[in-house]
Amino acid sequence: MHRERVVITGLGTVNALANNIVDFARALQCGHCGIGPLTLFDTTHFQTHIGAEVKNFRPHILIPPRFSLKRMSRADSMAFAATMEALSDARLIPFPDSLRENTGVVLGAGSGGKLEGESFFRDYLKTGGRKARFSMLAGLCPASSADHISAHLGLMGPKTTFMTACSSGATAIGFARDLIERRAADVVIAGGVEPLCRTTYASFNVLQAVDPEYCKPFDRNRKGLSLGEAAAVVVLESLHHARERGIPIHGEMLGYGISCDAYHMTAPDSEASGAARCMEAALADAGISAGAVDYINAHGTATYANDAMETRAVKKVFGPHAYRIPISSTKSMTGHTLGASGALEAIVSVLSIRQHFIPPTIHLHDPDPECDLDYVSSGARESMPAIVLSNSFAFGGNNTVLILGRFTEKGIQNE
Amino acid sequence: MGKNLMSRRVAVTGIGLVTPLGVGKERFTEALFRGESALKEIAAFDTSSFASHLGAEIGHFLARDFISAKYLRRMDRLSQITVASSRLALEDAQIVVNTTNRDRIGIILGTAFGPTDLKIHCARILFTEGPMMINPILVPNSVMNAPAGHASIELGFRGVNTTIHHHAASAETSIVYAVMEIQRGAADIILTGGADIISEFFFEALVRFKAISPVNGGNESARPFDVHRNGPVAGEGCGIVCLESLEHARQRGAIPYCEIAGWGMSSSPAPPTDWPADAKGASLAMMRALQSSHCTTEDIDVIQAASNGGKNPDRIEADACLSLFGSETAPPLVSSIKGASGESFSSGGIRAAALALSLREGVVPPTLGLVDPIVPLPFVTGEARKADIKNGLLNAFSHGGTNVSIVMRKIEQG
Repeated sequence: MHRERVVITGLGTVNALANNIVDFARALQCGHCGIGPLTLFDTTHFQTHIGAEVKNFRPHILIPPRFSLKRMSRADSMAFAATMEALSDARLIPFPDSLRENTGVVLGAGSGGKLEGESFFRDYLKTGGRKARFSMLAGLCPASSADHISAHLGLMGPKTTFMTACSSGATAIGFARDLIERRAADVVIAGGVEPLCRTTYASFNVLQAVDPEYCKPFDRNRKGLSLGEAAAVVVLESLHHARERGIPIHGEMLGYGISCDAYHMTAPDSEASGAARCMEAALADAGISAGAVDYINAHGTATYANDAMETRAVKKVFGPHAYRIPISSTKSMTGHTLGASGALEAIVSVLSIRQHFIPPTIHLHDPDPECDLDYVSSGARESMPAIVLSNSFAFGGNNTVLILGRFTEKGIQNE
Repeated sequence: MGKNLMSRRVAVTGIGLVTPLGVGKERFTEALFRGESALKEIAAFDTSSFASHLGAEIGHFLARDFISAKYLRRMDRLSQITVASSRLALEDAQIVVNTTNRDRIGIILGTAFGPTDLKIHCARILFTEGPMMINPILVPNSVMNAPAGHASIELGFRGVNTTIHHHAASAETSIVYAVMEIQRGAADIILTGGADIISEFFFEALVRFKAISPVNGGNESARPFDVHRNGPVAGEGCGIVCLESLEHARQRGAIPYCEIAGWGMSSSPAPPTDWPADAKGASLAMMRALQSSHCTTEDIDVIQAASNGGKNPDRIEADACLSLFGSETAPPLVSSIKGASGESFSSGGIRAAALALSLREGVVPPTLGLVDPIVPLPFVTGEARKADIKNGLLNAFSHGGTNVSIVMRKIEQG
């Protein structure tokens, strides 16, 4: 059986920079910062007080009234809103009856309905469990976002949810590619969603991994990440299916790789073996040489360990070419959106290909001598990347790397 | 690479189990085929204020028998049972992880609820002592991918590693993904299956959601496919199967239990906490599984059912099986082990191991608790039955409408 080529025909997002793709692309080009004081919950007793919140999110405006918002958590409605935009972009609204049976949903998730769950736990602890309304936990499960999308659209294709912390969204897109490639689905709604919540915010605080100011990837003075939230959804379909529908193609999903550090639960392997093997696996899967990569969207969390390790990994894989590839961390603008980040950065990669720019790493003013590659820092750079590699490295040593390309008839890797 | 995406055959070469029916393959097999029940009064915590009291708990399990002292203290219970099962599966498959093979060995794990004990503990600290009082050692364990991460560190394999979290289809979906990864050449060997635990808070939530027996009164018990069923009994455990490309297994002289011949996935529209209205999605998953394994309904000899004694799931699976297999002259034997081992949610690893053992031994375990079936299908009840079986179907149909069906096939010698 031939591998089906898999293309991207729809994009949708809500994140700290924008609540739609057009505004998101503009914000990336302008180097806007989505990080600011947190308002979603009281941060008085936390060590840090800033984050990258989704702003002015009005799900009842972004989601058509026929879809009930009742029982949807913030995560569910963010994922649903991004899905609606991606489907509309792919000209799949109203959703065609004929496609329901072979359309799947694959999401990467993180905290799910934990923000709402926390309110439940507070009542539960206060009342000793007697008066707490357990129904508030109905949306706690991170899998519910995919369930809502699939149920509301009446889809009958494969459905699942990945939970690998910061690489969930990237893995979801990889798995979706596999499903289409082997014809287990014609169309897959794939992406990631992550809401901010107290538990996650507390967790990264006690790990001393949060910069009290905005994060500064690859900077000498970086002190940690900035937590963010987002939903990012792409519509993937087989090339022949997209052609039959006669719709514009935004890019091609060329390949991906997964690896594991097997080193430490939170610290990256300083030898950078896991990250390097993952990039190599992705290049091999895509059938391209390292020299063909035009832009690397870095994991770039701005923790001391990650940025130094990632720089070493890129040098290991790309050799002398490492110094010639522009690299940036868009987490400096969007915050680290954990379970959504891999999918959000896949969208950034597609936008950079489609709109001919390399987004900047803002707040990078004083480069760390250990991070001496071409980190694009002062404003977006005009460029025409054809092949983009996007890194996601997670707690648990779970690494996923995606490779996305400009769509050409022959296949960009063959040109 | 890639021209023959689905032609590479994937075999089951090892089994690792930490379950209420026993720790290790030998004890599990004995209990399973003897028709022993693991349903007992919960011992880990006091259930007197709850409407339910029964559970299937992991009995004698000493984590230090399986995990080095250095790492043991960093692990919560969910990670411990996962790492122990993973070690047992590798040993059963006679695989020694070393520097030459470690990058080609991985793990894909399913968990439906994750470390619920740890999560409620963190929530408690958050709202009583304050957010900065959470112990940083606990944080990495509270993520769903911690068990697979711990397994990779303790056992030293560095290949494909991911975690799937989608209700009671988590483990079966993980098995499917492991097959796909081996077929596309991303790994030679992948440990896969599922792990979930019972904790006090989780048990209380199941009771309050009316998700476990006795849902509408009556005697508390698990009665899969029975007219008088009144909900499942909560279980826990970890089941890991070692999947390997058949070629790789043969090269090193391993004797596989069986192979994964094909699979089907589907959804049925349903709210995340409710069941689909009909069996259409469940049937679709089974039909897709048959199609991808190039067989017909007549080829299936046994069904390792997902049914757990719940009102809706059992009805859906019974209807789906009846519609697909009901007109056969000799429909497949149907068996659910959840009357013996309870509903452990990500039970697919344990049940895949049970089906692999059935295929190797030619024995189908009984469905305990089933007396009065809701549909006329050849259920195995009372005691285990000897049968000549070649193809078995492993089903997972979960609330929220996520369906997975996997065909496991005996490998002919030669």
